[in-house]
Amino acid sequence: MGDLMVFSVFFILIAIGQKEHAALFNASRAQLDMWVGVFNTFLLLTGSWFVAIGVARCRAGLSAGGARNFTLGILCGVGFVANKAVEWGGKISDGLSPATNDFYMFFFVFTGIHLLHVLVGLVVLFVVRSASCRPTIGVRELRTIESGAVFWHLVDLLWVVLFALLYLL
Amino acid sequence: MSEAKADPLFRKSIVFCAWSGLAAIVLFIIGGVFLGGMLPPLLHANDSPAEFVRKVSEHLFEIRVGSVFLMLSFALFGPFGAGIAALTRRAETSPAFSYVQLVFTACGTMVALLVAFTWALMVFRPDEYDPTLVQMFADFAYFLAVFSVPCFGGWCVVIALPILLAEEGKAPFPRWVAYVNLWAVLLFAPGQMVLFFKDGPFSWHGIVALWIPFVAFFLWILIMCAVMLKAVKPGAQVRPA
Repeated sequence: MGDLMVFSVFFILIAIGQKEHAALFNASRAQLDMWVGVFNTFLLLTGSWFVAIGVARCRAGLSAGGARNFTLGILCGVGFVANKAVEWGGKISDGLSPATNDFYMFFFVFTGIHLLHVLVGLVVLFVVRSASCRPTIGVRELRTIESGAVFWHLVDLLWVVLFALLYLL
Repeated sequence: MSEAKADPLFRKSIVFCAWSGLAAIVLFIIGGVFLGGMLPPLLHANDSPAEFVRKVSEHLFEIRVGSVFLMLSFALFGPFGAGIAALTRRAETSPAFSYVQLVFTACGTMVALLVAFTWALMVFRPDEYDPTLVQMFADFAYFLAVFSVPCFGGWCVVIALPILLAEEGKAPFPRWVAYVNLWAVLLFAPGQMVLFFKDGPFSWHGIVALWIPFVAFFLWILIMCAVMLKAVKPGAQVRPA
């Protein structure tokens, strides 16, 4: 919840930038490949779906199914990171950097901070997965699994808004 | 741990440590907010050196008095951190995380004290220093304060870990305290961007790199002080160790 507040500040900053430099923001936005963003959104949403199924399996006491779904969730997350790296690499080799203009400053910094969250989220998912592999899933394991899953959903939620503001608007 | 109940000195010590943290917040507000011009930032990363000298000279006396308050405030980080370490230690059988916390406490206190030193030097003789030196002192102070993410962030992580890793019922603090600490790390993190920007929200006078880490840091102290006071409140159930 705390992170939602901080990202709200980020979202407002983008909105102010959009208002003040509408032409620049629109021109820069047109240079982004929307489909890369769509693909990343798809990856994260699918990952969240797997994680949600995994949590449901663990609640029902089916630990094997849980771990498999968390693995798939982790793979989606890794795909997101790889896709982001390719996108950033492409932008930088086109000569676009955070110093180019205000739009790219926001683009790189905010997607960078979000990427940091994805990486933390991946570590969390590994912890969740190992908790789901224990022979018996008690209250303690279930708490770890559910808290971790909530964090992953948060990372997903933040991306959906960020995607809309940076790529679509 | 039954001996904690029977140890009034320990309770008083922790109360002292918690109040040190609270005093640090008050002294920072006096020294950094009202007098010192540190927050909201009087200076801007993209000002010219001459502009730095002009602004500093205009507020020379306030900033000098403010620096004394900053010094007092930051020195109190020591007892504040030691109190958290002592409470963590109480829950450990063989201490490890409490020692790591002390290392980070010492390191964080030193870095923070250097902020006050630098801030004071900036207003020592701004007319005799080359203007770019005045500019550098301001840069230096803000870099010490917000670029030092791994130092203060690491401190939060080693407060969170013993809580999350503890066996059921043996954690030094409630679980939500661990999450607050991990969240604080994410809030401090944008401070590292001050190296790459001299203007806008990510420079050392900007909202993301200055305001968010600073406000988060002092809120973190406030929360940890409240948690410490609660942990030793008479009649509060003492956590078994």
